[in-house]
Amino acid sequence: MTVYRFKAIRANQAPGHEVFSFAAAPKDVLAFSEIERVGRDDQGHLKGFQRHQVASHIKDIRDYLAREDALLPNAVIVAFVEGADVKVKDLGDGIVEVKINAAAEKPGFVVDGQQRLSALAGLDKPGFQVFVSALVCRDYNELRQQFVLINNTRPLPKTLIYELLPTVEGLPERFTARKFAARIVDRLNFDPNSSLRGEIRQHTNPKGVLSDTAMQKLVSNSAADGAIREFIKHDDYEQRAFQLVSEFFWATREIYASEWDGMAPKTSRLKHGAGIVAMGFVMELLYSASGATARDDFRAGLASLKQYTSWTSGSWKFGEFDERLWNGIQNTPSDIDLLANYLVRKVKRQLRKNSPV
Amino acid sequence: MKFLYSDTQDYVDPNYDFLNDRNKIGHKRYWDDQYAHELMDPAPYDGLLVSMSAVRQAEGVAKSKVRYSTSEEQRMLRDGARKFLRFGGPKFKDRMLMGDCGAFAYVEHPKPAYSPMEVMEFYADAGFTHGCSPDHIIFECDTANPSRSEMSKQVGDRYDITLKNAHEFLKLTKEEDWPFEPLGPIQGWSPQSMAEAAVELEKMGYRYLAVGGLVPLKVEVIHEVLQALRRAIKPETDIHLLGFAKADKIHEFTGYGVTSFDSTSPLLAAFKDAKKNYYLENPNGGLDYYTAVRIPQAIENTRLVRGIKEGRFSAEALQKMEAQALDAMRAYHRTGMAIDSTLDAITEYQHFLVKGNVGGDEEEAKALKKQRELIRRTLEEKPWQRCGCDICKQAGVEVIIFRASNRNKRRGMHNLGVYHQHVQRTLNKKK
Repeated sequence: MTVYRFKAIRANQAPGHEVFSFAAAPKDVLAFSEIERVGRDDQGHLKGFQRHQVASHIKDIRDYLAREDALLPNAVIVAFVEGADVKVKDLGDGIVEVKINAAAEKPGFVVDGQQRLSALAGLDKPGFQVFVSALVCRDYNELRQQFVLINNTRPLPKTLIYELLPTVEGLPERFTARKFAARIVDRLNFDPNSSLRGEIRQHTNPKGVLSDTAMQKLVSNSAADGAIREFIKHDDYEQRAFQLVSEFFWATREIYASEWDGMAPKTSRLKHGAGIVAMGFVMELLYSASGATARDDFRAGLASLKQYTSWTSGSWKFGEFDERLWNGIQNTPSDIDLLANYLVRKVKRQLRKNSPV
Repeated sequence: MKFLYSDTQDYVDPNYDFLNDRNKIGHKRYWDDQYAHELMDPAPYDGLLVSMSAVRQAEGVAKSKVRYSTSEEQRMLRDGARKFLRFGGPKFKDRMLMGDCGAFAYVEHPKPAYSPMEVMEFYADAGFTHGCSPDHIIFECDTANPSRSEMSKQVGDRYDITLKNAHEFLKLTKEEDWPFEPLGPIQGWSPQSMAEAAVELEKMGYRYLAVGGLVPLKVEVIHEVLQALRRAIKPETDIHLLGFAKADKIHEFTGYGVTSFDSTSPLLAAFKDAKKNYYLENPNGGLDYYTAVRIPQAIENTRLVRGIKEGRFSAEALQKMEAQALDAMRAYHRTGMAIDSTLDAITEYQHFLVKGNVGGDEEEAKALKKQRELIRRTLEEKPWQRCGCDICKQAGVEVIIFRASNRNKRRGMHNLGVYHQHVQRTLNKKK
């Protein structure tokens, strides 16, 4: 079939422009429209506009759409340039009949939704239709203008996405680990019994001072390689995870009161992203070395570490030739690694001293 | 002679879906993956070596994709390397687990990235059976045996640093009551200076020496080094060859009383070598090499994506050719028929891999023709069907397809297995 007919609804928008919407099978959409990717011709002139496919994105969408209950309510957008073989006939009451002739060439251009179409094209899902919103542009430049306008939206702020995550089901695989971490961080921030209540900066808690991403990192490190991973076998593992982190920080706040209370990342490295994530490894060590889960269990280890820390003043002596000012630690993977190693080694040495084998 | 493999987080997903090119849904990296010694029986090496530079970040340590995350590093130190590498249990508990510093990672720096104390603690925490003192690589090796004053100051400094560290390292290991067997690394600018360093290390108390800086050396030079060493040191002193890149020449090195060596080259060859990607032992006891068939992922391969971005290639057309090449390979595997049309489908797709290279159409045609000849031999001889190892039995034709980590690393693991048996057979013959 090379001629496609659809019944569509038309919207009145700008005079002289056709805008209408219909449902179609993904493979038909790809049969009457091109995904024209941006590139350069031999003379170096720009051609096309679409970006390239992103394999991981397509896989995510495909995983979701493969499910029987998958919905795709948002429309893909196809544009035609005036003069292309597309006929729009008025049927009255805002309904039109659209006739698209793709016999000689594909008259349409996919302006939005190429990754969704690619994902669906690779799926065996007979009968599944997508909405197509179509517009007829005066010329190719106007089409490009539409492409830029449509795709120049602002993504949601990450902090809002993370805050919404715990309540959203059926998201792509890569979100599930984050979702768990986000849920624990939520509880840490809002549970009345939490040691960190109100301390974490989130979209709905802008006065918090601890970075939500650092807290999530602490939780996801533990879920991937530490204590929380061991909890997974228990039915109440979420409660245990929350409890562990909260208890650890009850002890931390107590031992390091002057470096915690009223402090911010700028004034105390303990409340800084690097300090939080690195302290997570101290929590892991105390858990694995002595089974610590309650604040009382953490106290001794944290107290023995105190003499080696410089959270708010002085300097860190990481090695013979590596000394840094208290605030010379940044939120970078290598600084976190350095600080974590330093703290863990110091605690380990104290543990060895206190209980010689 | 024990063959150690240098771990760089080489594991694959045992449930990988080759047809849809994806991990099983819910796949957890590492936890659901398997190391070569878990996938293959017998294990394709006698022990594992872990470089500290792959695990711990430090100033001057080159960034590498395979480096452990901080949380993996901390877990290794808490649980021990044996548990982390799942290289324990009755089957593996006696196998060697060696640590070294991975001196290549900080070779550009005037000093090693880690202090003897930090290294000793690292090995002890991770529970290695053997650990090498932090050395500093000397690249020059002059068989004319020049004196120290004829070399640059840097060479002499590196020689001194290596020995000074070894001294300190041994002292610390002693104080900790020998939690592992310490290895004294040999660095020098000539066979003679290396022999002198070896004698120094023996005098300090080392019973196991590691010869470093071998990677760039020619086979003849390595022979001279080992001859000089053996003349100088006690017969009972053990020798380890660090990063022995001349893996296929191992039969020439059985006479020096080498206790162990490590190499990554059989695994790396699977996806780094231009032609020798798949190993198979031949009836004469040597190794045969085959080209793997490159069918990269159309919208992920850097070269192809660049072409797409520049607007030279069509993503849709490439994906179609990619699917045709894969289908043809699999059909050939099942039926053994239509070798020419299989080659056609592969060549048509591979054309895009060489397009735009310097040299123009003529060079492209030549490169394609050469590649086609190499692939023809692979297809005709079907080495993946002749190999009975666990990897090839499970993955079938996918193991010979050069495409992304799950296939390429499997092929590398197969190579390790073939190589390990080759080493064992070579040694048995010499006995």
